[in-house]
Amino acid sequence: MGIDNVGTSDAELVRRVRSGDTGAYAALVARYRDRLGRYAVHMLGNREDAEEALQDAFVRGYRSLARCDDPERFGAWLYGILVNRCRTTGARAARRGRLFVRDEAALNGAPLPSSVEQTELDDVVRRALARLAPEYREAFLLKYVEDLEYEEMARLTGLGVSALKMRVKRAREQLQTILREVERV
Amino acid sequence: MFEGGRDVVDQIVARLRRPVRIDPSLDARVMERIAALATPRRASSLAAAWRWLTEPRHVALSPLGGLAVAAGLVALALLFPTLARRPSPTIRDLQFVLVAPQATTVSLIGDFNDWDAARTPMRLARGSGAEWTAVVPLSPGRYRYAFLVNGSLWLADPAAPAALDNDYGDGSSVVTVAGS
Repeated sequence: MGIDNVGTSDAELVRRVRSGDTGAYAALVARYRDRLGRYAVHMLGNREDAEEALQDAFVRGYRSLARCDDPERFGAWLYGILVNRCRTTGARAARRGRLFVRDEAALNGAPLPSSVEQTELDDVVRRALARLAPEYREAFLLKYVEDLEYEEMARLTGLGVSALKMRVKRAREQLQTILREVERV
Repeated sequence: MFEGGRDVVDQIVARLRRPVRIDPSLDARVMERIAALATPRRASSLAAAWRWLTEPRHVALSPLGGLAVAAGLVALALLFPTLARRPSPTIRDLQFVLVAPQATTVSLIGDFNDWDAARTPMRLARGSGAEWTAVVPLSPGRYRYAFLVNGSLWLADPAAPAALDNDYGDGSSVVTVAGS
């Protein structure tokens, strides 16, 4: 799923945690913090909500570690938990009435934009994503940004491959429409 | 804003794929929450069993569940006396016999049936014409007894030792049932 391991394997760290070495879990958190964080930030459009969902996912992952059947694929397993946490957090945010919050900090650590136009482009991208229905945004991000295969996406989301393909197609079409509108303005 | 000749969606995908840096202090917050979790991850099964047995807990019971529990307790209460009455291996069946050619009814009376003539009627043995019998289960002990013939004639057992401590003033016999 595009997640590579360096140093001690996930399986070894999971084994240590299961043996009572809680500190080994810190290595897993550090390893997956940014990778999973990118999905959460783009999915929720808000850093505060994204970090909350990410924290919850890590804690739930720890509590459910006994149910991680394939420790070699800990990252993929944790991804599934995060996808669910983002759904819950996103639904809660929607109930609060938060539609989209501009999040400049989301690009911390990214190369600085070379011009004002680049900053505007980032803003356009975020607003376009925010206009997608959550289920379309989820499918689009998992497929194109996280680079997952449809079979993997089906495992994470509990949806069928056909439904996911349809959602990705619709998301792409809607984004093209939204971005063309922006260009015309 | 977008590069010409290149799909706009592909262009935004490229931007979305750039790394996003999450505040590293999140790690500490996660580990703090994990440390606060009460349940240790590797408790021994023995310790877990002991904790399960000794920890106080609240039991929620619906009205229907309460009725089911009550019905179970009643069933146990009814079953227990039945079980208690079942003969133990030390109880012995004793056959009492009286030869009385002129009798029309004979009852066995004694300590074991509170001298109640109605409780142990004797039966005329088939083919004998005069031999009345009754079988009584008795636990080890000493019992006094007699026969009541035709509802009024009190007779001690001519084949058994006489009881000297007869509360009723009439003759009675004694039988001793030995333990196993």
